[in-house]
Amino acid sequence: MKNKISIFILIPVLLSAFMQMKMRLFETPANWPKPQYDFSKNPLTEEKIELGRALFYDPILSKNNTISCASCHSQYTAFTHVDHALSHGIEDRIGTRNSPALMNLAWQKIFMWDGAINHLDVQALGPISNHLEMDEKIENVVAKLQSSKIYPQLFLEAFGDSVITGQHTLKAISQFMLTLVSKDSKYDSVMRKQAAFSSQETNGYKLFQKNCGNCHKEPLFTNGEFENNGLTVDTLLNDYGRVSISKDPNDSLKFKVPTLRNVEFSMPYMHDGRFKKLKQVLDHYTDGVQTSKTLSPHLQQQIKLTSNEKVDLIAFMLTLTDKKFLFDQNYSYPKHILLSSRKK
Amino acid sequence: MGSHFLPAQVKKMDTLVFQPMFGDSTLVLSTYSYKLNDKDSIQFDVLKFYISGIEFLNKGKPVWKEENSFHLIDASQEKTMSVILKRSSSIICDQIKFNIGIDSTINVSGAMGGDLDPTKGMYWTWQSGYINFKLEGISNVCKSKNQEFQYHVGGYESPFNAFQTVTLDCKRSNKIEIDIKELLSGIDLSKQDHIMSPSAEAVVLAQKISKTFSVQAQ
Repeated sequence: MKNKISIFILIPVLLSAFMQMKMRLFETPANWPKPQYDFSKNPLTEEKIELGRALFYDPILSKNNTISCASCHSQYTAFTHVDHALSHGIEDRIGTRNSPALMNLAWQKIFMWDGAINHLDVQALGPISNHLEMDEKIENVVAKLQSSKIYPQLFLEAFGDSVITGQHTLKAISQFMLTLVSKDSKYDSVMRKQAAFSSQETNGYKLFQKNCGNCHKEPLFTNGEFENNGLTVDTLLNDYGRVSISKDPNDSLKFKVPTLRNVEFSMPYMHDGRFKKLKQVLDHYTDGVQTSKTLSPHLQQQIKLTSNEKVDLIAFMLTLTDKKFLFDQNYSYPKHILLSSRKK
Repeated sequence: MGSHFLPAQVKKMDTLVFQPMFGDSTLVLSTYSYKLNDKDSIQFDVLKFYISGIEFLNKGKPVWKEENSFHLIDASQEKTMSVILKRSSSIICDQIKFNIGIDSTINVSGAMGGDLDPTKGMYWTWQSGYINFKLEGISNVCKSKNQEFQYHVGGYESPFNAFQTVTLDCKRSNKIEIDIKELLSGIDLSKQDHIMSPSAEAVVLAQKISKTFSVQAQ
């Protein structure tokens, strides 16, 4: 009898502990929209996230085992490739676009600058097989993982099966990427009424809402749409963006609106990384926008900002920096997996 | 005469065989060269396609439907050409219905397993989506490098949706043939040696592919 009672007490306690553990793996911050990602098809577990993290940092994904996801998506720069307008991959081959910063991917419905990828799970296939990036086939990746010393065990722990498949490999990478949530910037603290903007930041925020917020929509700082923001075409790259995928002429020169979270650290800017500084970006929007048939409706009217206003606007943009995200140890190189057992 | 009017009852038809043909000959990959006409020849290296949503009908009404019905038929692996259906008893049917390719729902649902695993070489990596049908080979007619031709037919979004549904009379047979000679009779190899992405051309080819399937009466 006593045993029965204690079990009845224990079950809810264990359940609530379990729920809390699950909660910590992924949470939708208050006042944020519902994620696009269907977690019921790939429920997060600590084992799968850790496996995904190892895969993200392991150059085994590339043809000659030199390039990992993190090569072009490093944590300290909000998971993008700093210092390079066009990201470079295997054997120093130069890509055709600036690698995007990775964060809040659970809220993203379509991937790549041109929307070529329709689901987070299959996103990694793009860079893995791109000749200029990792130049490898997923079949070979799976074979290499299967014959490695560490992965069959990690897959067994994560999926209950030491036979490695493309599906499990990709779902594990998704799990790690889903945990990359940036939600603790000063902006977020202000929204939660735990901090206050300076008067300069307040003014910058007002200017932001008036001039930028339609495309860089709060709280994700992107509307998730494709827009032509009036950049001149680089005649060496001849990149017309979304139209190359949709084949719809109305999509010519449209690129996915990137988030502005952590924009302080995710330079250079634009799909081809043509701008190194935020000031250059703002100068483009006030004075450089090229009119064309597909120009974003939000840019039809010229944006006017004085140089002081630009300074204020940038001050606001810096409040989107999330140091907790940039330095979170849970996102960093998994030494405990990749270094400890590998060299044996 | 009388038997002619009996419903086409398929007894213990628990295996469907998808047999690639070149005219009257069984299609064999790589080693074998086939004649297109008196002077031109052709050789095949890859033939893979998805069959999905297998269903049996009687008088237009569905009588049995396969669950999770996705099969990759690969001419290089004979066992994939036989699709085993988990049916307990014989059913009365007069038609079989199936799709060539993968539907749009699966195409936007992320990483799949089994025959749908991206390691099967039937998933585009640079632009999401399944390749419904893949045919590769060489012919002296082709003006391309190494006289190669490659048809990767897919696309799930309008206006380039290449997904096809086929309905065939059962004819008391479990053998479905796909005649590549017939398919090629509608293609000018000298002008069109490759299709590699969703496009209007891919949709036209997909429609031609769907017409080359037939049930071979035993």
